[in-house]
Amino acid sequence: MTQATLDADSAERPDVEVKPDDLRAQVTALSRSNREPDWLLAFRLASLEQALSMEWWTGQEESWRRTPRERLPRRARVGQVRGPADGSANGTAAIAPSHVFTPDAHSGLVQQYDGRLVASDLEEQAATDGVIIMPLSTAAREHPTLIQEWLGAVGPPQDRYDAYGRALWTQGVFVYAPRGVVVNESLFYLVTQDATAGDHWHYTLVVAERESQLSLIDGGDADDRRVELDETPLLHASVELIAEDGSNLRFASVQRWHRQTAAISTTRARVGRDASVHVTTAAFGADLDKQRIDMDFSQSGGYGEIRGLFVGDGKQHIEHVTRQHHQGVGATSDLLIRGVLTDESQAVQYGLIRIEPEGQQTNAHQTMRNLLLDDGAGADPIPMLEIEADDVKCSHAAAVGPVDPDQLFYLQARGIPPRVAERMVVRGFLSEIADGVPDEHMRDVIDELVEIQLEPARASV
Amino acid sequence: MPPPLFEIDTLQVAVEDKQIVNGLSLTLRPGEVHAIMGPNGSGKSTLANSLMGHPRYRITGGDILLQGESVVDMPPDERARAGLFLAFQYPTDIPGVSMINFLRRAMSARRGEEIPVREFRQVLNEVLGRLQMDEQFVRRYVNDGFSGGEKKRAEILQLGLLQPLVAVMDETDSGLDIDALRIVSEGINTFHSDENAILLITHYQRILRYVQPDHVHVLIDGQIVESGDASLAERLERDGYEPFMERTKEGVLSS
Repeated sequence: MTQATLDADSAERPDVEVKPDDLRAQVTALSRSNREPDWLLAFRLASLEQALSMEWWTGQEESWRRTPRERLPRRARVGQVRGPADGSANGTAAIAPSHVFTPDAHSGLVQQYDGRLVASDLEEQAATDGVIIMPLSTAAREHPTLIQEWLGAVGPPQDRYDAYGRALWTQGVFVYAPRGVVVNESLFYLVTQDATAGDHWHYTLVVAERESQLSLIDGGDADDRRVELDETPLLHASVELIAEDGSNLRFASVQRWHRQTAAISTTRARVGRDASVHVTTAAFGADLDKQRIDMDFSQSGGYGEIRGLFVGDGKQHIEHVTRQHHQGVGATSDLLIRGVLTDESQAVQYGLIRIEPEGQQTNAHQTMRNLLLDDGAGADPIPMLEIEADDVKCSHAAAVGPVDPDQLFYLQARGIPPRVAERMVVRGFLSEIADGVPDEHMRDVIDELVEIQLEPARASV
Repeated sequence: MPPPLFEIDTLQVAVEDKQIVNGLSLTLRPGEVHAIMGPNGSGKSTLANSLMGHPRYRITGGDILLQGESVVDMPPDERARAGLFLAFQYPTDIPGVSMINFLRRAMSARRGEEIPVREFRQVLNEVLGRLQMDEQFVRRYVNDGFSGGEKKRAEILQLGLLQPLVAVMDETDSGLDIDALRIVSEGINTFHSDENAILLITHYQRILRYVQPDHVHVLIDGQIVESGDASLAERLERDGYEPFMERTKEGVLSS
């Protein structure tokens, strides 16, 4: 059992950090209790030192200027774990996972509750083929060579959250498809979070070897959604996606964290030669959600897709910071973010297309569209281009506005009441993103969550 | 003579601050087909949209009555459920909303209760067949990527499914080739019965060869300047709108 020992005054001052020596001791204890190999503890501690040597964001940085400072804590605390990350030394009494995310057909599954494994399975064929889906700490014991090769292989941590994410994670998953293996159905990584348990750090590592194909659905849900918390819980997710040459990797993440959670994620994809990567994220919960998605094309001919969907309500702040980074020749990347904002919710999209001098024949596109359903809602899409090659095709488009009155009129002219008409247009608007999720059940889940989010009265159901 | 089904009574309509329809009156009785013909800018689309209650068009005077009840204060969806229909000149595309979902909701709204899937399918297939439309058509998003002809057929499909009391057809013949025009016209004729009435709004006379009007009206500067039987349409075809425009100027001056 690992417990974060908090400084007495840190609860009142959210940005005050645990003393470095205490953090080192806690990380060591966490790693030991997971029975992790020494090299993994070394990785954690090295990441911790990196984090400690970095500065927190101040709000002056371009990609942080629109983030409300008081709503995203700058701190590192080890989260509470309700048992070892693989559940091996714990009782087996299953904690009921959220019904919303229960998957239908799947090739494999890992389900965790506050870092504790509650369920896992893997299709026989997939297991025979060498497909892996298991908690990260277990994988470190059972597949040390793979984890040592790939953990952190996307590059050095980008900032202090990212570095802490590699040091402090209490729950994580490793997903792997060997060379040439096609995983039939989606793999699921489902996390249920008890919001009262404080901060959480997640780590997801996905590797698709050459010519392989896999799709991972990452669902995050909060237990006790209605509990009123005394303090904002911080949740960071590190996601590392490695698509080797000619592979096809799909990753879809759907979250509905607790209403008071400050969620930040760092998703980094490395797209190999002629590989394709699809990243779809759907954000419904949290008080603040800042998603950072970085796609790196260092090889030629890759294809990358970023899809973001969100529905904001109340005073939610939903932010996407993305980078499509082209160094390889002739790769294509495409970003599409669509969001719907109600009440006084706010969105920011800061999207950068960066093409290095050697990234010739790149196709890179980005589109951000925000529908505002209430006067108090707002959105700030900021597409950016930094192009240093001369033979490329790039486009960007950004839009903020209300529902098209002509669309509403058309539906109303057929007898459909205004509220229903608006709902239809909004769902249609979002469906282009939801339809790209590689799993029918998950599409239904997204549909259902869209509906719940648009109808606050139903949120308590 | 049966009581009027639809009455437009000295209707005045403004767009922003510009008066477009200037005291137009018209009465449609059950079983009748009326054609309103007018040149560009005469107020045809303003009339069509204001009858359906488009928020951009402001009714500044007069009344619109469906079965004796004023609809002026009703929002568009209520007018539609009461039995008023507008076939759009430029149907709006709604990406992400499938035709089949839309049609089923529209039919349920018109009936005031959810239409059973089985019955819906049956009626849908029947009307699709009549319009020589493929069943796959309804899998597409509403008007999204439709050709001009497909859009007009989709409007007629809705007409056939919703069975309104009064159908206002706004330039339904524009952009159609001769085959599509024939199919669309047949769709209108099949729909037409002694219990409903049709108001065809058109620039050209050609659709009137397929859909026979009982009454033809000439619209100039937002007013009806001449009414007659089907032969009026032929006169317009032969002589154009010019003679009537002269007449209106006098009319407007004298009023």
